[in-house]
Amino acid sequence: MSDNTTAQETVTPIKAAVMDQLPSAAIQGQSPLHHADLDSLAQQGPKTGGVHLREHKLLCHLTLRCNQGDEAQKAAVERVLGLALPLSPLTSVEKGDYSIRWLSPDEWLILAPGLEAFDIETKFRTEMPGHYSLVNSSGGSTVLELSGENAIDVLKRSVSVDLHASVFPIGKVVSTTFAKSTAILRRKGDHTFELIIRRSFADYIWLWLQDTSREFGLVIDA
Amino acid sequence: MTQKNRLQNGGRIDRSQSLTFSYNGKEYQGFKGDTLASAMLANGIDLVGRSFKYSRPRGIVAAGAEEPNAVLQLGATEATQVPNVRATQQELFNGLVSASTNGWPSVETDIMGMVGKLGGNLMPPGFYYKTFMFPQSLWENYETMIRKAAGLGRSPKKNDPDSYDHINHHCDVLIVGAGPAGLAAALTAARSGARVMIADEQNEFGGCLLSTKETLDGKPAAEWVASVVAELSAFENVILLPRSTVNGYHDHNFVTIHERCTDHLADIAPALQARQRMHKVRAKWVVLATGAHDRPLVYGNNDVPGCMVASAVSTYINRYGVVPGNELVLMTTNDYGYQAALDWHEAGRRVAAIVDTRTAANGSRAQAARAKGINIILGSAVIEVQGGKRVTGVSIAPISQDGNKVTGAIKALSADTVASTGGWSPVIHLSCHTGSRPIWNDEIVGFLPGKTLQKQLTAGGINGQYELAAALSEGFAAGQKALSELGLPAVELVLPKAKVAVQDAPMSLFHIPHIKPTSQAPKQFVDYQNDVTAAGIELACREGFESIEHVKRYTAMGFGTDQGKLGNINGMAVAAKILNKTIPETGTTIFRPNYTPITFGAVAGRHRGELFDPKRYSAMHQWHIKRGAKFEDVGQWKRPWYFPQGAESMQDALNRECLAVRNSVGILDASTLGKIDIQGKDAREFLGRVYTNAWAKLAVGKCRYGLMCGEDGMVFDDGVTACLGDQHFLMTTTTGGAARVLEWLEIYHQTEWPELEVYFNTVTDHWSTLTVTGPNSRKLLSELVDYDITNENFPYMDWKQITVAGVPARVFRISFTGELSFEINVQANYGMHVWEKLFEVGAKYSLTPYGTETMHILRAEKGFIIAGQDTDGSVHPHDLGMSWCVAAKKPFSFIGKRGMARQDCMREDRKQLVGLKTKDPKQVIPEGAQGVFDRTAQIPMPMVGHVTSSYWSENLGHSIAMGFVKGGLSKMGESVFYPLADGSVIEAEICSPIFLDPKGERQNV
Repeated sequence: MSDNTTAQETVTPIKAAVMDQLPSAAIQGQSPLHHADLDSLAQQGPKTGGVHLREHKLLCHLTLRCNQGDEAQKAAVERVLGLALPLSPLTSVEKGDYSIRWLSPDEWLILAPGLEAFDIETKFRTEMPGHYSLVNSSGGSTVLELSGENAIDVLKRSVSVDLHASVFPIGKVVSTTFAKSTAILRRKGDHTFELIIRRSFADYIWLWLQDTSREFGLVIDA
Repeated sequence: MTQKNRLQNGGRIDRSQSLTFSYNGKEYQGFKGDTLASAMLANGIDLVGRSFKYSRPRGIVAAGAEEPNAVLQLGATEATQVPNVRATQQELFNGLVSASTNGWPSVETDIMGMVGKLGGNLMPPGFYYKTFMFPQSLWENYETMIRKAAGLGRSPKKNDPDSYDHINHHCDVLIVGAGPAGLAAALTAARSGARVMIADEQNEFGGCLLSTKETLDGKPAAEWVASVVAELSAFENVILLPRSTVNGYHDHNFVTIHERCTDHLADIAPALQARQRMHKVRAKWVVLATGAHDRPLVYGNNDVPGCMVASAVSTYINRYGVVPGNELVLMTTNDYGYQAALDWHEAGRRVAAIVDTRTAANGSRAQAARAKGINIILGSAVIEVQGGKRVTGVSIAPISQDGNKVTGAIKALSADTVASTGGWSPVIHLSCHTGSRPIWNDEIVGFLPGKTLQKQLTAGGINGQYELAAALSEGFAAGQKALSELGLPAVELVLPKAKVAVQDAPMSLFHIPHIKPTSQAPKQFVDYQNDVTAAGIELACREGFESIEHVKRYTAMGFGTDQGKLGNINGMAVAAKILNKTIPETGTTIFRPNYTPITFGAVAGRHRGELFDPKRYSAMHQWHIKRGAKFEDVGQWKRPWYFPQGAESMQDALNRECLAVRNSVGILDASTLGKIDIQGKDAREFLGRVYTNAWAKLAVGKCRYGLMCGEDGMVFDDGVTACLGDQHFLMTTTTGGAARVLEWLEIYHQTEWPELEVYFNTVTDHWSTLTVTGPNSRKLLSELVDYDITNENFPYMDWKQITVAGVPARVFRISFTGELSFEINVQANYGMHVWEKLFEVGAKYSLTPYGTETMHILRAEKGFIIAGQDTDGSVHPHDLGMSWCVAAKKPFSFIGKRGMARQDCMREDRKQLVGLKTKDPKQVIPEGAQGVFDRTAQIPMPMVGHVTSSYWSENLGHSIAMGFVKGGLSKMGESVFYPLADGSVIEAEICSPIFLDPKGERQNV
């Protein structure tokens, strides 16, 4: 009992409460699509089809809100992530496992390896000057990758934005209505798209994707 | 050969593929390439239905979307029933089952026919208003009888086995109509590299070229069509949509297209395929190349089967190899009409006469007819036809050149088919959809598209350009115009050469005179589908309905599924004549979406069944399912309602769950509560402005309940907010209010107080919230934590960051049950792990999962409100007895402060929330029951407020309720009565809403 009275009582009030939210590796996290058992479907399901679906689960999702006109803040982001904030609307930047998506004039979504959330948050709290907020939303969403020659056909049934390569090039990102839910949609390749969806809507979107891809054949990739 | 009207050669049908179909229970043969209508005509089927009001026999009149009569019921099984299918647009497939919809008991022997024959004058326009209005109590009987007799098709009684699809498109140019103008426009745009879509309602591209004998560059026009389609298909940026009706043209060039993907294949779509698809197109430019409909003339008995529009006759002959009769009389006001007689003659059947209403006809087509020796009668008209279920003869008479009277002797001719044309009506429907008013043009005797605010171009027949060469060059010009507007390079296009016909001017004539006045002449139909006659329109005008809009509503003209495609202009002309006005003076005709009827399936798309509305789940949902939870909808969330065991009734389960929480420990999945992360140096100030109570002094590590009001001072949400850091808060909201509260905060920040440094982020989905509550909750939790959670170290309304079952957590000591409670928040990916661990160690405390209904009872025992159940947007905090939660002295105002200070909000007799204890403890007042002070008052009794929450409390052994009572807060101990629908009355005593542990000791231990 005595050992545990540390952090809360000795630290003076801090600007924001940052905590390492992950347990030890012994405890397995369950992604929003855990119940769909995509791993088994990947093993047992069809291997060819016009649409491929892969979940990139349990990643680090951080929502950053700050002032895009603040040079010191932009420099701090670059020091922490090794990536510059994308300032053009609807764009994204990516380097290795790190990426940043423009969401709104003062809002970005940062994706990083799942175990790094606390490290990144801590670094931000030391490096970042001025008024900003950084929020861990890793538990609240998951990443789905749709690929294959008919991926675009599934998306045209799901979102109303123009996906033609001339106006939706690789790297473009939009937050948009997806069927009756929402998604952050980004183009990763000619035939590869990435959806970031909310946990509570994940099952709905999973059902939707199965329905819209049925005529093309859906392949689950591990 | 049973298809007695089928030609040996010609047409776009495949005679090697014979198809069997049935109509009204009898089997027939047709060919691939037929429509249901062409196959019916090939088989000599004259009768396709009975008319709506007079029950007169009706036959096929047209060959396309404008068909008013051949509107059939399709479907081989109950589940595949489709009403209102136009036989002229339904492609034939093997096994197609069709039936007429009008006619009871059968189309051949009709009971209503008697009414029609006997009661022609008994059913004038306005008949329904005049006759069936009184007595009103009988309307339901009348309606049943009318519907059964009229027959409007029927919907299936079983679930539709098919699936439907929606798809979005964006393009530079959308071309509507793939006739000569549309194809030329599409090819022009496509060659420049534009993103092009071209849609046409027919099964193949070509439009009128599919039905013509005209040539292009000396070759059949169809060859040019094939070459254009082949070239278009090769472009990556071009989408071709046959069988796709552009049904709606909306603002900002948003266009909806209804594609019939598999309706031509079978009753049910092949596996994995959608039966129909709705295309939602956002086009930079729209080219309307919709062509024109042939307009029939209005003459006596013009609805007898065998009366058709002239161009349809040509279509059946040239496209389907079907001559729909043996002996033709053609009546025309223009040169184009002659083509039907030429085609009929060429098909080897007899043309009895061409009756031209003009006194001279020397155009190319008239000369061709003359050269073939066809009898042409000038300056005359068919004033009536004879026949019942098929035309047997016609009466022809000379008419005056103003078209108003018969000027000579009647001559009888034998014929079984009468084709008529009063000229073309441009298909302006889509151009009207966006609000553009069409403009009458005397030269073409028709309406042209009006001025538009859309990026819209028109080409070909819609502009009154009916000659092939003109249509082609207009299409090309529209394509070039679109390219230049889009900033794309112009292209070369060599248009094929078409023969140019010499034309005489058409005569402006709609309503053929008769020797008798219109009211006494044989019925002259204007709108076939709604049985609107020329006499009816004249009567409506005489009765004072002078605006064409009133005439339409009074007579029902244009109200059918065909929307008056054939009849509206004729009807306006009849009204104009009787009112002595011109057609434009009478008014204009406006069309609205949809161009043709569309199935509900196509409207719904994939948004049906499981996908009708998203269902939101928490991270522990699978556990709830396994545990047999019953679920309740809260917003889009599926929340456990209660967890029945075995055959337990709902009330038994609730009793058990409630006792478990009060006596040992229960657990609730509270993950659905809205959670908003708030950061910034002004976060605290912001909270003080949006909540009614004070936030300035809330220390880090503490939690506080807050009440949120609208500007009107009325409560709209509530919840607990915790101070995580000096500039960091976590706000919770109601489950259903989460999105609205976040928007509320953003709106106020962005529009009213942008100077406050604060950011909001939703974390609802990020955290799983597990509420462990009950006297044993601490014992249970202490087995799983790394921290001293005694009351001294972790008091009520504090939060701590501790580890629960190995998972870092924020634990809030807040309580919605009034018991010792811990709300455990962990990252949602680990919610299930912690939930299961709690049950592993919780067995010895009989840890009991409970749902929203038990939660409601437990909080009601404590008098805690639920925003949205005990509030309805008309109650302020004082009404709720929650003045303690309003800090009137905050330095900056807060939202709702002025609102709740309005005079009306200060009244002492406002409805106020109080507790209600029934005199008979076993009685539970129904929620929603209205209270009265005087149970003996006369009805309508003065009502004093309703019950908002009411339950059986197993813990207390009596019922409990909360409700509004006028001035209730100062009426403690008095009685209020609840008269129920069954005549009984429940008496209740007004009391404090806190039924259990009024001092709040249980949550503070």
